[in-house]
Amino acid sequence: MGTNEIEITLQVNGEEVNADVPVRMHAADFLRHRVGVTGTHVGCEQGVCGNCTIIVDGRAVKSCLMLAAQLEGTQVQTVEGLAAGDQLNELQEAFKRNHALQCGYCTPGFLMLITSLADRPSPPSRDEIREEISGVLCRCTGYEGIIRAAEEYLLKTCVAKNGMEQLP
Amino acid sequence: MNEYVSGNASQRQRKSGSEFIGRSLPRKEDDRLLRGDGRFVDDIDLAHQLEMAVGRCPFPHARIRAIDVSRASEMIGVRHILVGSDVKKLSEPIQVLRPVPGAPPLPYYALAQDVAVHEGQAVVSVVATSRAIAEDAIEQIEIDYEPLPHVVDTLETLSDAAPLLHPDVLESNLLASNIDSNGKPDAIMAEADVVLTGRFRINRVTAFPMEGRAVLASWRPGARELAVQSSTQVPHLVRKQLAESLRLDEGEIRVVASDVGGAFGLKLGAYPEDILACLHAMALRHPVKWVEDRMEHFRASTHGREAVHDFAVAAERTGRITALTNNYTTDLGGWNSSFGSAQLSSVVFTGPYKVADARVKRSVAITNKTPIGAYRGYGQPEVNFALEVLVDRLARQLAIDPYDLRAMNMLKPTDLPWRVPSGAIYDSGDYLQSLKIAADAVDYTGHRARPRTARADGRLVGVGLSSFVERTGYASARFLANRGSQFGAHESVTLRANRSGSIDLYTGVSTFGQGSETAFAQICADVLGVDYEKIHVHAGDTAASPLNTGAFASRTLIAAAGAINKAALLFRERTFKIAAAILEASPADLDIQGDVVVLRSNHARAVSTKEIFRRAILGQGIPASDAPGLEATAFFEPTDAAFSFGTAASVVAVDPETGEFAVERFVMVHDCGKSVNPMLVEGQVRGALVQGLGAALGEELRYDRETGQLLSGSMLDYFVPTAADIPPIELLHTEVLSPVTTFGVRGVGEVGTIPPAAAIANAICDALAEFGVEISELPLTPEAVWRALRAAKTSSSLENQSEKRKTKPYEHAAE
Ligand code: FES
Ligand code: FES
Repeated sequence: MGTNEIEITLQVNGEEVNADVPVRMHAADFLRHRVGVTGTHVGCEQGVCGNCTIIVDGRAVKSCLMLAAQLEGTQVQTVEGLAAGDQLNELQEAFKRNHALQCGYCTPGFLMLITSLADRPSPPSRDEIREEISGVLCRCTGYEGIIRAAEEYLLKTCVAKNGMEQLP
Repeated sequence: MNEYVSGNASQRQRKSGSEFIGRSLPRKEDDRLLRGDGRFVDDIDLAHQLEMAVGRCPFPHARIRAIDVSRASEMIGVRHILVGSDVKKLSEPIQVLRPVPGAPPLPYYALAQDVAVHEGQAVVSVVATSRAIAEDAIEQIEIDYEPLPHVVDTLETLSDAAPLLHPDVLESNLLASNIDSNGKPDAIMAEADVVLTGRFRINRVTAFPMEGRAVLASWRPGARELAVQSSTQVPHLVRKQLAESLRLDEGEIRVVASDVGGAFGLKLGAYPEDILACLHAMALRHPVKWVEDRMEHFRASTHGREAVHDFAVAAERTGRITALTNNYTTDLGGWNSSFGSAQLSSVVFTGPYKVADARVKRSVAITNKTPIGAYRGYGQPEVNFALEVLVDRLARQLAIDPYDLRAMNMLKPTDLPWRVPSGAIYDSGDYLQSLKIAADAVDYTGHRARPRTARADGRLVGVGLSSFVERTGYASARFLANRGSQFGAHESVTLRANRSGSIDLYTGVSTFGQGSETAFAQICADVLGVDYEKIHVHAGDTAASPLNTGAFASRTLIAAAGAINKAALLFRERTFKIAAAILEASPADLDIQGDVVVLRSNHARAVSTKEIFRRAILGQGIPASDAPGLEATAFFEPTDAAFSFGTAASVVAVDPETGEFAVERFVMVHDCGKSVNPMLVEGQVRGALVQGLGAALGEELRYDRETGQLLSGSMLDYFVPTAADIPPIELLHTEVLSPVTTFGVRGVGEVGTIPPAAAIANAICDALAEFGVEISELPLTPEAVWRALRAAKTSSSLENQSEKRKTKPYEHAAE
């Protein structure tokens, strides 16, 4: 019945959020309907479609499989946090260039998943990318544009990161 | 195609119609969607909004003896409950948009009346302060069901033994049959050198958009305004259906589809939940939201495809096809949904072949399953699988190469226009060229020249072809009216000037991934001569767009291109009239170049569009005889459908022991006439191909014959392709302009779903030719191939004994 609530404090895209949440509410619902960041989409609520993927403390997770209560004390990144002002970031630009989106419903899930791969020590191969992103479903694009965009982006970021000194 | 004609350097003149059409411009839709700023129905929460949940029949067929809502209605947070009798009092049955010709109407209320005819049919609905409470309340409603005998098989339901599903309306479970015929196919078959028959079963699948259906309804009784946010591809048609069912005037309803998360035919027309959300909202004077969950989606959103095709082909020994007949049955499910089961198999059943003597009969069978609706391709993938697999069989039987058999029978450009038995007219095309390009791309000749031996891993390699012709768009409103369709064939657009010099484009076409905002802006900018960035597209709001038809049947661009062209020319004329007065010139001597109107002969004499638009809006500084304002609305109805065409070729390696196979190459050659934006075209074709591959290779909604239950109705049992499942796909295009459309465009949204199944089935049969394997059913799984191998091995060992049949390798006549 949702009367049982718990208080949580977390960072969403760098801003502190403090809220009372029903214990049975999942993280995707919390973000969408309580915090008001509706870019994270829900396609199944069963952990299969990956459209609800967000980044929690640096790791990509399916937010429909997490309870809002589990976000206590975490740093959450959603699609709304990617662009700087009106400027799309490099991954978003790569998506646009490569026609990696049609209806755009799955797009935030892919953007967040691929963002979470940007720190890999070396850029993944095309086949590795296909495997890595197979946890998110898209019914519109046939995936080719998404794979191309991920390839372009990760080639840059993974090499760049690799060139820098790795923090422990 | 030159953008400029060269001349005096200071006098370069732009030729109209070439600046933006044909370019892969970035999409108008992308920025908002990439930033998480799309507006899908569930992204909107209204103050005091309530949520709806729907209770559904768990049986395939059951009488509803009693419903007791007393416990549920006392629960805290529960605000309103509707049962079948309420709905019958408050509303009318949903009107079908595209009825089956000759079929009696099957009245379809938003909630089941006395009998439910499929698992998942809506029986009660509850509105509460949260979805969770509404779902808990459903659990507390007691429904006394009396299960009735059911039938889920497409052909079994037509037997005398089957239970009658709509006894008040029909004497059998056959809704209707339609025949289209030309010439004397039977007489020819009786005399033919060879007649081959085959039965083909096409699987039931689902469109599976990533966003399910959703609706948010609010009612202001004082204003008599019902505002409905809906995930639909046809806002204006939904408005019409809501008005009829809710007994409201269309003028009292506003339907808005802002962003739609995929549609593919599944979101074509009103569904029961749309009516229910509105009824609750009207009763409560509170906004009511319903968002479909995935389990509901599998049972309550329309399914697609399922059909059984019985084909017969007659041919001369030389390979010339002389007659074709196709008797097929589509599975409607329990009701006639807004679009019902597929109708286009009857239009393209002769494929790209020159067969004048042909007959097709379509029968529509009712079963205890979820209603079938439109799904990308709408009968064309189904019939292509049957016909193209049969063509390969004929080739094997006659020991003619399948390529040669196709080439020999294809309509040539000089044969077109060509009337098929349904009366439709193939407009133009070069079918043989697409076949050649596809075959070359996969080194067809090289494949035939190599010895047919297994690879080191034991796999055999086959190559398969599938050629097609696809109807895109509708012939005309008259054509539709003859078939009882409740919509027209037109599109419309309004253009409106802004003080800044930008232009608003209003369209009733909603945005669900097809890129129409982009393509519309390209055409508009092109015809006007203004910058692409200057066009603001406003889509999918019935209160802010001229009445239109909607996006389906690969018709949008065909009709909209004409409307945009017409409106832009009107708008241009009016702009020139004002400019001519300012520049003291004749309108005929003016041109628009980006943000200025110039005198063609002297570009120094110019006035900005900003200034012209401002004067028009204020009504100041315009010719005294002119009315103020600068706005143009145009409607356009195409005179004919355009037929796209092409050929797919695949290379498949098959393990003859296990039936496992891998699609190693898949080439698609396709012609959509003039391509307005090649990037969008590629996206549409690829996306549809992957849906076609999914349906060919794994997707299937299976029902249990004994229990009538849906066995694969969850994400864990229904396999939508992932990025890791896709074979390498190569796209090639030809560009034969259609003579019947504006700019020569043909539709492109659905084509990819058509050829994959046959191209792969034919490659598998080619690889396994020495075993005499035949494939007649979808989906094509390794297990299905293994079964086909077993069946072939058993029958061929019998045949070898009697020496009745030899399997010959093809004699490829090329070169
Ligand atoms: S909504 Fe979370 S995985 Fe589908
Ligand atoms: S773009 Fe529509 S689901 Fe991916």
